[in-house]
Parts: sequence; C-alpha cells; structure tokens
Amino acid sequence: MILLAPQAALAAGVLGALGLGLLRRPPALLVRALALAAPLAALWLLRGAAPGVLAPLVGADTSALWWQLVIYCGALPMAFLSSGDDVEAALFLGSVLGMSLLAVAGNLPMLYVGLEFMSLPAYLLVARAGTGEGSARLEASVKYFFAGALAGALFLLGLALYYAETRSLGPTAAALGPQGQAGVALMGAAALFKIGAVPLHWWLPDVYEAASPEVSGFLSTSMKAAAVLFLMRIASLSPNPAFVDVLPGLGALTALVGAFLALRQQRLQRLLAYSSLAHAGLLILGVGAWAALGRDSASAASLLFYLGAYAVISNGAFIFLKASGLTTRTELRGYASRHPGLAAAFAVLLLSLAGMPPTGGFVAKLLIFWQAVRASLAVPVILAGVSSLISLAYYLALVRDAYFEDPVGPAPVPAEGACEARIAVLVCAAGALILGAAPLLLRGIIGSVWR
Amino acid sequence: MSALTILWTLPLLGAVACLLAGRFGRAAAKWCALAFAAAFFVQALAAIMPFVAGGGAGLDAVGGAPLAFGVSYLLAADGLSLSLILLTAFLNLICVFSSWEADVSGAYWANFLLLASALTGVFLARDLFLFYVFWEATLIPMFFIIGLWGSDNRRHAAVKFFLFTFAGSIFMLLSLIALVTAKHSQAGIWTWNLNDLKGAPLGAAGPWAFLGLLLGFGVKIPVVPLHTWLPDAHTEAPAAGSVMLAGVMLKMGLYGLIRIALPLFPAYAITWAPLLAGLAALNAVYGALCAMAQTDLKRLVAYSSIAHLGFCLLGIVSGTAQGVVGGSLQMINHGITTGALFLMVGFLYERAHKRGLSDFGALAGRAPWLTFFFGFSIFASIGLPGLNGFVGEFMSLSGIAHSPIPFLDVPFFAIAGAAGVTLAAAYALPAYQSVFWAPEGEGSVSSHVTDLTFREKSILWTLCALMLWIGLAPAGWLSLIEPSVRGLIQ
Repeated sequence: MILLAPQAALAAGVLGALGLGLLRRPPALLVRALALAAPLAALWLLRGAAPGVLAPLVGADTSALWWQLVIYCGALPMAFLSSGDDVEAALFLGSVLGMSLLAVAGNLPMLYVGLEFMSLPAYLLVARAGTGEGSARLEASVKYFFAGALAGALFLLGLALYYAETRSLGPTAAALGPQGQAGVALMGAAALFKIGAVPLHWWLPDVYEAASPEVSGFLSTSMKAAAVLFLMRIASLSPNPAFVDVLPGLGALTALVGAFLALRQQRLQRLLAYSSLAHAGLLILGVGAWAALGRDSASAASLLFYLGAYAVISNGAFIFLKASGLTTRTELRGYASRHPGLAAAFAVLLLSLAGMPPTGGFVAKLLIFWQAVRASLAVPVILAGVSSLISLAYYLALVRDAYFEDPVGPAPVPAEGACEARIAVLVCAAGALILGAAPLLLRGIIGSVWR
Repeated sequence: MSALTILWTLPLLGAVACLLAGRFGRAAAKWCALAFAAAFFVQALAAIMPFVAGGGAGLDAVGGAPLAFGVSYLLAADGLSLSLILLTAFLNLICVFSSWEADVSGAYWANFLLLASALTGVFLARDLFLFYVFWEATLIPMFFIIGLWGSDNRRHAAVKFFLFTFAGSIFMLLSLIALVTAKHSQAGIWTWNLNDLKGAPLGAAGPWAFLGLLLGFGVKIPVVPLHTWLPDAHTEAPAAGSVMLAGVMLKMGLYGLIRIALPLFPAYAITWAPLLAGLAALNAVYGALCAMAQTDLKRLVAYSSIAHLGFCLLGIVSGTAQGVVGGSLQMINHGITTGALFLMVGFLYERAHKRGLSDFGALAGRAPWLTFFFGFSIFASIGLPGLNGFVGEFMSLSGIAHSPIPFLDVPFFAIAGAAGVTLAAAYALPAYQSVFWAPEGEGSVSSHVTDLTFREKSILWTLCALMLWIGLAPAGWLSLIEPSVRGLIQ
C-alpha cells in the first residue's frame, strides 16, 4: 500500500477540508494549514514509494514517481497561497489527487478517472477562486468545462475504438490496424486538448486570464505536467502509434502561434497565458522527440526537467501578478523604481521563461532542443528556435516596461495575501537561478540517465 | 580556487559588493567599483605575465571532469585569451574612471562588473556549454546599461541589441547541440569539451551547423548585413557602455571564429573563406561609406567600428599566421582606439548635450587638449604608420594577399581592404576638421565646451600612450598572441 500513500494523504486532505466545511465557521488558518500540509505530506511519502503494480488499475513505474514529484511541486505555491476557504481547498486538493491518480494509472479506464478527477475541480476552481470580475470567471469556467467535456468524449470514443480492435484496456505489443490507430489518435487528441495544442487551444487564454493568478500558475504547471504524462502514456500504448509523427510539427506550430499571439497582449495575465502556450509547444515537440527516439529515458528525463523548472518559473511569474496587483503593461511601467526587489525577481523569472542562461529556463530549453536534434527533427527544432526568439521579444518588453519606463499613475494596490505571494515569488526566482546551475547539481538525479 | 576561476569570479563578487555598497550611498558604491576593477586589472596582469616572460608558451587549465549532460567546468588560458581579458579589465577600469563624476547608483557599477565577469568567462571557457552560458550572460548587463543609462532612444536600442544577438546565438546553440549529438553517435560519450568535439562527424548537416555558428558570431562582429543593431546600440549607450560594447563585445564574435568555428570546421574554413573574405571586404567598404554619410559624431564612430572589424575578419579568414595574428592584434587596437574616440564623444556630449557634426566648430581654440587627443586617436584609427592601427591593418592585408587558400590570393580582397583604408581617411578627417577646425556654423554649441579636466586627460594619456606603444613596438604584443594562434590554424 506504500505505493498509494501520497494519494491517501491527498484524499485525507480533501476529506479534512470538506469536514471542516461542516463547521459553521471553518477556521481559515486550519484550512490553510491543511491545504499546505497535504501536498507536503504527499511529497514526503513519495520518498518511500517504490515502483509497483496493483493490477489492473494501478501500476507505478519510476517515471510515475518522478512525475508525481513535479506535480506536487507545481502545486505547492498554490497550496502556500490558499485563501483559507474550505471549498477552494477541497477542490484544489481534489484536483491534485486526480493528477496523482493519473500518474499511477495502470490502464485506460483508470487514466480516464484520473483525467476527470483532476479536471472537474479545476473548472470550479476557475469560477470560484480569485477577486476578479465574477462573470468573466464564470464564462471562462464554462468554456473550460466544455473543452474538457469534449476532451473526455474524444478519449472515450478513442478508447472504444482501441478496445474494439485490441480487446485490451492497457498497452498492447501488437501492431495496430487502422481502427486502433484512429482510437489512439483520438485519445492523443484528448491529451493535446488538455495541453492546449494549436488548434485545440481556444479555451486556454480565456481560462488562464480569468482565473486568479495562483490558479493559472497551478493549471500551467501541475495540470500541464499531468497532461504531458497523459500524452506520453497514450503514445506508449502500442509499438507503432501513427499520431506521434505529427507531434513535432504540432509542437513547433503551437510554439510559434503562442509566441506570436503573446506579442500584442496588453494584459499581463493574458500575455503569460499565451506564453504558456508557447511553452506547451516546446513540450509537445519534446514528446514527439521522445517518441521518435524510442521512448528513451534521457528524453523522458529532459521533459521532466523542463516541467520541473517550469513549475518553479511559471508559478513565480503568475504569482508575481498577485503579489504586485498589476494587471496591464501600462501599470507595470516604472515598477522597478517602486519595488526594486520584487521587480528584480520578476525580471529573473521572465529571463528564465525566455530561456536565458544562467537560469533554469535555459537548461530546460536546451534539453528539449537537444532531444529534438537527437531525433533529427531539424525543421521543427529550427521553428522552435524562431519561436523562442519571438517570445524573447515580449519577455524583454516586460523587463523594459518595468525598468526603463517612467511610472504612470498611482501605484497599484495588491490584493489580499500579497505578503505570502511576495515570499513565493522571491523563492521561485531563487529557484530559477539555482536550477540554472543544474548541470552542476544534477549529477545523481537526472544526470544518471545521461550516460 | 584556481587563478582562472578567480579571474572571472572576482568581478562577479565586485558586482554583488557594489549592489550592497549602494545601500550606503553612491560614493561607497563608486569606491567599491574602483577597488574591484583595479583588483581585477591587477589579477589579469598577473595572469598574463608568465606568458610574456615565457614567450607565450604553456597552457593553464582547470577542471574537465564531466558533470551532468557531458558538461564540464573547463577553463583554459593562452596568449589570445589573456590579452583579450587584459583588454577587458583595462577598459573596465577606464570605464570606472570615465564615469567617476557621473551621479549613478550602485547598479551601474554592478552591471559593468557583471559584464566584465561574463566577458572573462567567454574568453576562458573551453567547454561549449560554459561558453554559451557566458556568451549569453554578457547580454543581460549590457541590456541594462543601454536601457537604464543610455540617451533618448535607449529603450528601443537596448531591446534591439538583445534580440539581434539572441537571434544569432539561438542558431549557434542548435549548431553546438548538433555537434555534441554527432560526437555522441560516433564515440558514445556526451561531451561539450571543445577539443573533444573536433572532427565530430556531422555529415550532411555539417554546412548547416557551420552556418549556425557563423550566424551567432556574425551578428556579434557584426558582419554586414547582420549589423543593423550596432549603430543604434553604440549611439544610445552611455559613453562607458559604448567603450565596452565596441572595445570588447564586438571581439567576442571574432574570438568565437578563431577559437571555435574555424578549428571545429577546418574544411569549411577553407572552402567558405572566399565568402567570408568577401563579406569582410564588404564590411570594410560599406562601413566606411556609411560612416561618411553620418551627421552624428557617435554614429560615425559606430560605423567606423563596422569597417575596422572588416579588417580583422579579413586577416582572420586568410589562413595565414600573419593575417590571423594581425587580425587579433587589430581587435585589441580597435578596442583602445575606438574606446578613446567613444570616450571623447561622451565628454563632448556631457558638456554640450549635442553630438551632431554641425553642432560644433572651431573647437581647437576652445579645447586644445581635446583636439590633440581626438586627432591622435583619429590618426591611430585610420592607420597612420607609427600608431597601432597601422600594424594590425597592414598585417591583415598582407596576410590576405599571401593567403594559401584558393581564390583568396586574388588581389581583389587586398585591394578592397586597401580601399577601405583610404575611405577611413575620407570619413574621419573631414569629421575631425569640421568639428575642431572649421569655423562655427549657425546654432553651434561650441561655446559650451570647456577643455578636458585632469581626470579626463589622464585617461586619454594612458590610451594614447598605448596606441603609440603598440604602433612603435608591436613585437612583444605579437609574440604574446602568435603561439596560441599558430596552434589554432594548424
């Protein structure tokens, strides 16, 4: 049972939050402690977990354990910033639980359970948490829900086709016929929906913009990690999935579209939403390279590192918006003269998102490019390079706004919880710098697969 | 800690110290910057001494054990690296002195020291991952130097500078990855070590990888037509920023060619040499023609840099020891001469807040010292025999004229280069004449210009003495560079 200990901790957290909700006045401090303690406990319990199988539903290989690490780490900032609302805490922990179930899923129905378990609370979280305009959040939530429902339907349809041909709910060793290929492709499309691959990305900017910043950070990191793992599980169902051949091209396209659309954004959170689309493109390219390389461990480790670094950087960038109370680029002008420390942290995070050394974002980008070159994906990797150049333009534009322009209007007032948010931003920025020294630090961990 | 590690961490430490000292006031930060810049200069001098004494033999290296991803912390120094590091440290110190009266925060000094640290790293790294990290890291402090302390159009120039360089280096990164991957498929090991990567079997991807490296280095040099960022960046940067930009950062591109691109692809270095030489000749002529058309003194100096770097490139691609050594020496010459010119344009701008050619006239009577130093540097810049520019340009042109590479020995390239030399006189002397000797026109602000202060004169005396020294006795400098270059062209 040690295998499912992290999941048990998270489930206990969900039940605890719901239980506290039964009280007339749920103690906010206790709820916040619970929201933070549950993912921390899950992380702690992950240490003792070993690969194992509880047939047929659960089968955790080493990658499932590593992936859980990234998912929990991506969720920590949101846990730290929990508002103390019991329903929000339950939804948040429920979503994390869904992700971790997805990570250890042993067959396709369990994968579906994980998918829906992580998604349903997220729809509500978008609608509920935050201080922005209520109707926009509601609209985004409904949009998110429809996109998610569509993804779920695609998955089930694909599963039916796949099962009809193979009579199997798990991976097969046999080569697939047309029907099975179509089924796998549909399931892959569901995963791409969740990652936000162009042209299945239409829901993403609205959702990331309307949700409160820490929720967007959570969605763009933990949720994306789970979705990438989901895609990788689908791609390993059979020895010859045809749809993986489109992944590099699709990834490059997504990266380019995301970068181009981010260029013209004036609202910061929408800009970061499009930037996360560009990053999703690189991830899809990475999955394509991983598949083309015969699913080798070095390329899986690269994806993992990318998601781990991104969990720090993207969370930090989104939470900066909460810490500063900024919403538009105009408000960002001259921010460095008002809050030098926070502005410096934001600049580090932006340069890291842009993949500049010496930050973690650079190592992450390098690793993905590297896998693509190893897989001989010359054209997609050059396009990805172009996209990373375009994205540098808008990240630099933000640094320029914050540092080189003069302030306009009164200083924006950050919302409640800005103090914790400030701490989170500073920690994330420090993390981005430390991850930049990854080749020095990773000797034992990811470095070990790199022989 | 080894001496080489100290060499690049010392200015880095200084940057942190300046930021902290800034909390105790601007004067504290300034003195802190001076202390670290001086210590860095002394350290660089100490590092180069054994090479001077031993005729440049030997190689000092640290590190090398591979860490994750085949990356290793591998630093090494030879005469070429150390003379560029000495140039960095020297100009960095000059920058501190030249900005001494400026009212700037600790962040200003920190950025300069950060830049010096990253540049030192570029010249020391022998692991390509490390090289790339340092290479990119130079962009960040320069971006802030231009954007925070530059003149009117600084924001645009800072972003343009960053984006252009990054555009080149992203392709350079892909080329490096391709090299490492090709080496792995051959030898079964991951390595970014420059020496191990020689002869990596790239096959059909070879020309593309070489092209990627050329893009990365070409934007930095800059090779026409990748040069359009340079006039903006140099013009808008503060005077000290222009000194570092023209004095050292442009040299990164040429250094990359000598150290990385040409040794890694010796075959392409020969087959592509006519193309590169053609671009270099174009640089020399086009840069000079553009400089002729300028009405802004600082922009004129900026375009003259493009022309001068053309000479350096011409020498480097010639494949002869004479040409490469001459080109390398010209890198250092250009750093000193153009540094002096940028400083003096900065001094003018500080006094009159103008830098147009037509804004001044008859300065010779008002500021004789400035006139003297400007004239001296202009003559060094156009290659007057006896001053430093002549040595480098002559050796570069003579190298290309005697090149063993097919097509390069046709006199065209040497003639184009010689035309560039003539054109240099044609843009520099009229500008000098119009600002310092011609009668004042309408709207002239010459009356605001006072002569140089003691501090400014001391800086320029130092620079002009160096120009004279290299011009009269280049042998010591050449022997410093030659052994390392000889090893690289074989």
